[in-house]
Amino acid sequence: MNTLTTIDELGFAPALQQDVLEDRTSDHALLEATRSGDQDAFAELVSRYRNQITSYIYRMTNDYDGAVDLAQETFVRVYGAADRYQRTYAFSTYIYRIATNLAISELRKRKRRKLVSLTGFFQPTDGGEAKELNPPDGRPLQDLELVDTERRNAVQRAIGTLPEKYRAPLILRDVDGHSYDEIAKILETSEGTVKSRISRARGFLREKMRAYL
Amino acid sequence: MRKNNCEMVRRELEELMLGEACSTAATEHLRDCASCREFHEQQTKLRQIVGSLGTVEAPADFDFRLRARLAQSNGSVVYWPFARRGLAIAATVLVFLIGVVVVRDVMNKRGVDYVAKQPEVHEPAKPADVTPVVKDEKKPEQVAVNEAPPIIKKSDGHPQTNYRKRPLSSLAISSTGAEVINGKPPLNMSAAFPIDASPQAFTVSLEDGRGNARTISVPTISFGSQRIVQRGNQLTPKRVW
Repeated sequence: MNTLTTIDELGFAPALQQDVLEDRTSDHALLEATRSGDQDAFAELVSRYRNQITSYIYRMTNDYDGAVDLAQETFVRVYGAADRYQRTYAFSTYIYRIATNLAISELRKRKRRKLVSLTGFFQPTDGGEAKELNPPDGRPLQDLELVDTERRNAVQRAIGTLPEKYRAPLILRDVDGHSYDEIAKILETSEGTVKSRISRARGFLREKMRAYL
Repeated sequence: MRKNNCEMVRRELEELMLGEACSTAATEHLRDCASCREFHEQQTKLRQIVGSLGTVEAPADFDFRLRARLAQSNGSVVYWPFARRGLAIAATVLVFLIGVVVVRDVMNKRGVDYVAKQPEVHEPAKPADVTPVVKDEKKPEQVAVNEAPPIIKKSDGHPQTNYRKRPLSSLAISSTGAEVINGKPPLNMSAAFPIDASPQAFTVSLEDGRGNARTISVPTISFGSQRIVQRGNQLTPKRVW
């Protein structure tokens, strides 16, 4: 007669180990470890989110160097506020919120400094149809890759002309693929507002991108 | 009804994730409604283009730069709270000192205003090492400065003193005059110098002890206001000194 001597023999061991492992490597756990001085845990968090955050801020600001700088500032703030972090929301929501605030703050600073981007140079101030610096000629290009690149540039420019309150939810939804609930938490607004803003942003884009659709 | 249907279907299509299947009701509506079908096609294409933007990668030295930045900010995190506390204390002390200075200034100003409102009495110059000899023919009467002021009878028969009530500070200012005139030490330093508003000039002869004599004519002393002079004329007996 066999007697079970350890819990491993019950067959639950792999599942338990998996749970423990997942718990140890969750964002919350990593931040907890960071709080207690574990530099490797913070390095792991950075490696998980650095591309997402850099990309998101780049889509918001349309400036790669500035986006890298703001992404680093985001991580600095996460690190500095690790002691005050609460598990109310997912860590991704938390870090995206910081990134959003930084990006919007940067956009407002630029507005105050009246920085004029070359792509938005021909944008009318009365809210009418924007004229592109390099407008598409409408003729089909031979190289598919060129067409694709041109289309991406056009959509990036078009996103850059959106007001920031429409830009952020559109990028979070259509570029980064977040759910409405997550976006609402990131932007600290209601889900209904997020849906209506995304719908309006798509409407704007559809008008601007008519030649490519 | 159809318009409502279109709005509902478009809203449903908006909320779907890319590639997610829509409900059967929406599928049926799309089959029948050309404008909604066109909207759906454009929407799908647009979302594909936007989605194709993809993720931009962070630079290779991202971690290195972040570490340097964290090290830099860590230093400031350690010292900044102390600096902030120090600044707060310094600011509090500064505000307190400014408050004290302002309050003192206001108090002093009030005191000056109060004294300034009193009639001015000029103090005669005090000679240093000379013995004053009064040349005046008439013998000056010693002024008993600590005596009660002369009482004048008013028309209604009630007695009245011949000076107005004044604070002690103004009395002390006028207490050195008697020494100059009669060569005797003052009887009481806190006594009042009598106000003589006589318009005549006052002549004094001074001898330095070696036979040298000098005569000084002292002009009429002004007591600050014609009103006082006139009142003095009325109330003070002539040639009290």
